[in-house]
Formats: sequence, C-alpha cells, structure tokens
Amino acid sequence: MKKLLFLTLFISAAFFTKAQNPVFSPSTFTAEDQITLTYDVTGTGMAGATEAYIWLWGNAGDSPLNTSWTNSPDAARMTAAGTNKWSFTFTATLLYGLPPAAFTNFRFLVKKKDGSAQTPDQGPFNFDPLVFVPTMLRVFPGKVGADDVVTVNFDKAYGVTTNEQRMTPTTATITMIDDAGNNVGSPLTIAVRKTGETIWSATYIPSLSFTPGAGRKLFKFKYKFNGTLLDTGGATISVTSSESEVTFTTMQ
Amino acid sequence: MKIGLKKSLLVLSAAVFFAACTPVAHKEIGEQRNILSSLEGTWKLTKATQVDEAAKAKGFPFKELDITNLFPYTDFKLTLTLNAGAPGTFTTIPGASPKIIKLTSGTWTVDDAQQPKNITLSSGATSEVVTLGGYPVAASNTLKVKVERKEAATGKVVISYSYEFAKQ
Repeated sequence: MKKLLFLTLFISAAFFTKAQNPVFSPSTFTAEDQITLTYDVTGTGMAGATEAYIWLWGNAGDSPLNTSWTNSPDAARMTAAGTNKWSFTFTATLLYGLPPAAFTNFRFLVKKKDGSAQTPDQGPFNFDPLVFVPTMLRVFPGKVGADDVVTVNFDKAYGVTTNEQRMTPTTATITMIDDAGNNVGSPLTIAVRKTGETIWSATYIPSLSFTPGAGRKLFKFKYKFNGTLLDTGGATISVTSSESEVTFTTMQ
Repeated sequence: MKIGLKKSLLVLSAAVFFAACTPVAHKEIGEQRNILSSLEGTWKLTKATQVDEAAKAKGFPFKELDITNLFPYTDFKLTLTLNAGAPGTFTTIPGASPKIIKLTSGTWTVDDAQQPKNITLSSGATSEVVTLGGYPVAASNTLKVKVERKEAATGKVVISYSYEFAKQ
C-alpha cells in the first residue's frame, strides 16, 4: 500500500512539474543586451535532432537569419546545451541593425536546417524598455532578486478598464511560483499605501514571505491589486485589477 | 617735487612687496585622522534607501525609495571592534530587521587602512563586502555604507542599498 502511495505521488509530481522552458540569460533584457536563450526540445518534432537552427522574428519583422526556410544559414546554427537542449546567443540591435526603439518583443522556433522538422512557436518575449513607459502595473526596482525589497505599484491614471480607472486599491495579492512552475504556498495579500496622486504601492521581501520546497527556488511572481469602487447605485463593490508577472533576476 | 613723489611711491611699493614675502608661521594641522578608530563601536541603523541603478542610469522617474519604515530596519545593529588598532571582529544583531548583512559574526578587514573604501566581513569561507559611503569623523557621527546587488548574467549593478548608522 505504501509503495502504491509513493508511486502515485511520484507520477503526480512528474505530471504536474513543468520546468521553465525556454530559459533566458539574463532573465530580463533590453534590445541592447546580449541574450542567451536555451530551449529544451523534448517532446517536439526536434527531439533527438543532431543539429538545430533558430528561426527568429518579432515586432521588428523577420530576423536577417531567416533567409530560407529550407536552407538556414550557418549563423543561425544553435549550440548544443545538453540532451535535447539548444542555445543561441544574440543582441537584437546588432542582429537586426536597428535602433533599440524598434524592438518590443520577439518570438522564435527551433528547426532543422532544411525545415523538415520544427518546434512550436515560442513567445512573444518582451524586451525591457530603454525609455520609461508609464504603465498601470509597475515593479520597483525594475530588476529584482528573491532577497530584495520589492514594491509593486498601481497607477490608476493608466488603468485600462473603467474599473481599473475608478477603483481605490486596498490590498495587493502576490502569487509566488517556483522554478518548476508550481505555486509556492498561498498567495500573499498585503495592504497598500498611497504614494502619489493616482498611485498605490505595496512592498514585500519575497524570501521572507515565501519558502520554496526542497530543492526548488523562487522563480517568478504574479501580482494584482484589489480595491473598491461605487457602482451606479452608490453601492460599494469589490474589484480587482489585471495581473502582471515578474521573473526574478539572479544576483551575484 | 614730482620726482620726490615718484621716489616715495617706489620705496613704499618695495616695502609692501618685501613685507608680503615675510614667512608666516602656520599652525600645526594636527594628527592624521584615524578612520579605523572612528569605525569602532556599536552602530544602529537609522536610514535605509533602495536605488534602482538601472533606472538611475537611464534617467527614469522612479529611481529611489526610502525603505526605512517599510520594515523594522532600525532594529539592526552592527558592532565593529579593533584589535591593536587594526580591524578585529564584528557582530550583527538584526532584531526584527531584514538581514542587511547575513553574517552574524566574524572578522572584518578593509582595503586601505588609511582611507578605507570597502569593508569585507568574513566568517569562515563566507564573506560580504560593504562600501563605505562616508566616514564618521569630525562633525559627522554617521556611518554610511552601501551594498550593491549585481546581476549574475551581466555583472552589472542593478540595485544598491544605502544604509546610515548612528553610533550608540
């Protein structure tokens, strides 16, 4: 009976555990940063392939590496990074020969040189802006590690929905996710403070509020703001903002 | 008469010129400041500031945040002792404060005994480096240290924390 229980737990863990794929280094980047992406092609049409080529595109269009689907150039060849894992290093501005302002996001897939096999499309993955772009949800500092003081901010001046534009936030909810893609503990609800005419903020330290499971580490978190507003009848109703996600930066 | 006046002015000018060359006795400047001894003692944290170095470099509007009262930082105490005038041991007592220095005790060293810039706190094989932002000498009774957080992938400083301590 005990063996059966262990077997069930093991199979369940294997089924629900989903590693982060692809992995980027650094985890967040601007269009001027050198990025190394590593992608595990297990379970795709590229599993078991002996060589791989990247096919990369985004809001700036096809990359100059996308010369021919049936004959990728050597410059697009990826580097083996383990069994079924392939990595590729590039800097968007240098690859495209365009200024950083031209980039918002990119997507990619991994393929054989002759295009006879490929993975599904990946992305879009966003570049960090080089100019400040005010948004409704913002994290401070822009890059944070799990041990840092993290402040999440809500600016209703940039609310997208009417509820977000009208709501008065009272709390923020943080959902923590580990490097296997599993939720860590229960979501954390923290009180907000008013820090500007239209801005509310909430601050926490991830590693003090969440403890990952054995062998796991805090990988990213999602946050949203909860508040109230008056409906057309004058009654107070509870509303919640949309949610945003932040991946932790690995610090030295 | 005109020649007499000219001569008088010439003599007066010469007198002023040579008088100006008279050596002046300077006061003693005193002993060289002993920075290490000024660091010795127990220090209590009074102010904590977080800086987004990447935002600062880009000129973004949100660059700095006073985090002193967001967590009980003012509980944090650091004690530095000297051993025969040289850096000796240290202890940290965080209380309820976040552990701005993870090590609780050990030894400390400086990069330059006369004008230290970095303090290295060590315990066994583990060490932490804090940068001095201001010496607690003369009229200043504040010890300022800075802790930098570097992105592992790029080695760039992305966040810094500035801490001010008052001597107990």
